Amino acid sequence: MPVWLDLPRDQAGGTATQEDVERALACSDPGARELAVLLSPAASPLMEAMAVRARDLTRRHFGRTISLYTPLYLANYCSNGCEYCGFASDRPQRRVHLKPSEMAREMDAITGRGFQELLLLTGERSEPAGVDFLLAGVSLAAERFHHVGIEAFPMTAPEYARMAEAGCSGVTIYQETYDPDRYGRLHRWGPKKDYLERLEAPSRAMAAGMRTVGLGVLLGLSDPVSEALRLFRHANHLRSTYWRSGIALSFPRLRPEAGGFVSPFPVDESMLARIIFAFRIVMPDVPILLSTRERPEFRDGMAGLGVTKMSAGSRTTVGGYGGTEAVDDGQFRISDERSVEEFCAMLRNRGLDPVFKNWDRVFMEAADG
Amino acid sequence: MKETGNADDSWTVGGHRFTSRLLMGTGKFRDAETMADAIQASGAQFVTVALRRVGGGSGADDLLESLLKLRGITLMPNTSGARTAAEAIRAARLGRELSGSPFVKVEIHPDPHHLMPDPIETFEAARVLAAEGFAVMPYMPADPVLARRLEDVGCASLMPQGSAIGSGRGLATADMLRLIVRGARIPVIVDAGLRAPSEAAAALEMGCEAVLVNSAVAAAGDPAAMADAFARAVAAGRSAFMAGLMPRGSETAATSTSPLTSFLSPVTP
Repeated sequence: MPVWLDLPRDQAGGTATQEDVERALACSDPGARELAVLLSPAASPLMEAMAVRARDLTRRHFGRTISLYTPLYLANYCSNGCEYCGFASDRPQRRVHLKPSEMAREMDAITGRGFQELLLLTGERSEPAGVDFLLAGVSLAAERFHHVGIEAFPMTAPEYARMAEAGCSGVTIYQETYDPDRYGRLHRWGPKKDYLERLEAPSRAMAAGMRTVGLGVLLGLSDPVSEALRLFRHANHLRSTYWRSGIALSFPRLRPEAGGFVSPFPVDESMLARIIFAFRIVMPDVPILLSTRERPEFRDGMAGLGVTKMSAGSRTTVGGYGGTEAVDDGQFRISDERSVEEFCAMLRNRGLDPVFKNWDRVFMEAADG
Repeated sequence: MKETGNADDSWTVGGHRFTSRLLMGTGKFRDAETMADAIQASGAQFVTVALRRVGGGSGADDLLESLLKLRGITLMPNTSGARTAAEAIRAARLGRELSGSPFVKVEIHPDPHHLMPDPIETFEAARVLAAEGFAVMPYMPADPVLARRLEDVGCASLMPQGSAIGSGRGLATADMLRLIVRGARIPVIVDAGLRAPSEAAAALEMGCEAVLVNSAVAAAGDPAAMADAFARAVAAGRSAFMAGLMPRGSETAATSTSPLTSFLSPVTP
């Protein structure tokens, strides 16, 4: 494990008192130590205070807005054996991929719902869903959306550069778990077994000029506090090295999926909320995403309390937005099945402005003169 | 007194005359209606809009559409989101096409987290855009030398930071702002960092031509009421500047008990 990921012993937060939590909340420039304190058991009685601070900081840096995006799965081929994933290569899913004409139809169906930001997803690189396949998807998306991101397999720096050139401005790649032993056990086979290869992927994406890189851990795989502290170190390492790129954070919780994997470290909503509040407090200017994995009541409550970017009307099947009919079971089960209109109406009722366009492709085009 | 001052105390930038000295940003509001109400309450005649928020698919999301409905408003597209001069230049050209405004607020912040303006890229973009005939209003660090350089390449105004964007730290750069104001022959507009109306008043008192606020109003409990409070503070600050502040305590002529200059002889040699 690289040195920048090490957790200093004195920052574990295990012995924190309520006084330490109050100090952390009042701290004008909180960092790793405060994060550990805010995630310690001592902070759990101070949830309300944390929520207030998280809301105020969110409002100051992002205003009363929530950015919206939607995911589009382009393929579900995979050569990895992730024990917790519905698309793992040993799952009895029907394997499909979208043809370019189908991608275009799906994308048109999505723009029809108002979205200007699209996240394209695939499984591990494998034929027929490799780099060129994804590039074709990016190019089609770049003609239709202002912001195009990808959540796929780790790539080399030149491959990321090709993605950027085709119009991709964001890369999302979660380490899933920062615990190397557990990582090795959960990723039973396939290229994803290589912990360092994945860990270094965000650096390569940033070196290739990606605008934003999304980081995250899959909560439920390992001790959430150490995961959060390592994620913080990873984010800080990237921010100091690649200062022209932005970080976004996401805290997906393990969902029931086809394989029936049982979470060894279940994270309840109150812990998830506390992790989001704590990250908002120590990283006040970083976008925090929340997907339709979570139930509507939780999403409604968290909008603006740290969370600044949300997906809506999502499908986790390959296609399924109306351009093609979905034939697989999806990567995981969605909890919030409301339509985009219903979701936006909820945001407006809570005094939040749903923002579909927060980026313009003119900034990407400038790169080629 | 700046040469832009007039008998009715209006001020001029890029050939446009304004009586209000409060400029408004348009991001971060809960909805377009709240934004419009706040702009109206502020009395602002000059507002900036991020190009990245213009031209969205759904009407309600398109800030430009909402702004074009307001009367008596001059628009200043901004290039927020640009990391380089090349990107800002392209965004500015697109902004002029969409809004028809000759103004552009050049905003280049390559670090997406603290949003500090890049002085090198900002200078380059300002040089090119001023030569193309834009009324360039650069968002810039409060650097008196950079201010001179930007004025030399033909900027219409200077928009130095009061403090970091969205920080609400007020006029943390006050000493540098005074130097910029003292040297500038074009309007100086404090942009970013203001939280309280009193800070806006202080900027006007030191001789800034105007201030621009966004977060302070959008994130306030009652945005329209806060916009009105800013408008009155700006007017008060301007009146104070025009009236001439009395010198500070330390600057007044103190009389010492035993005169220090009694040895001077009136006799000429």
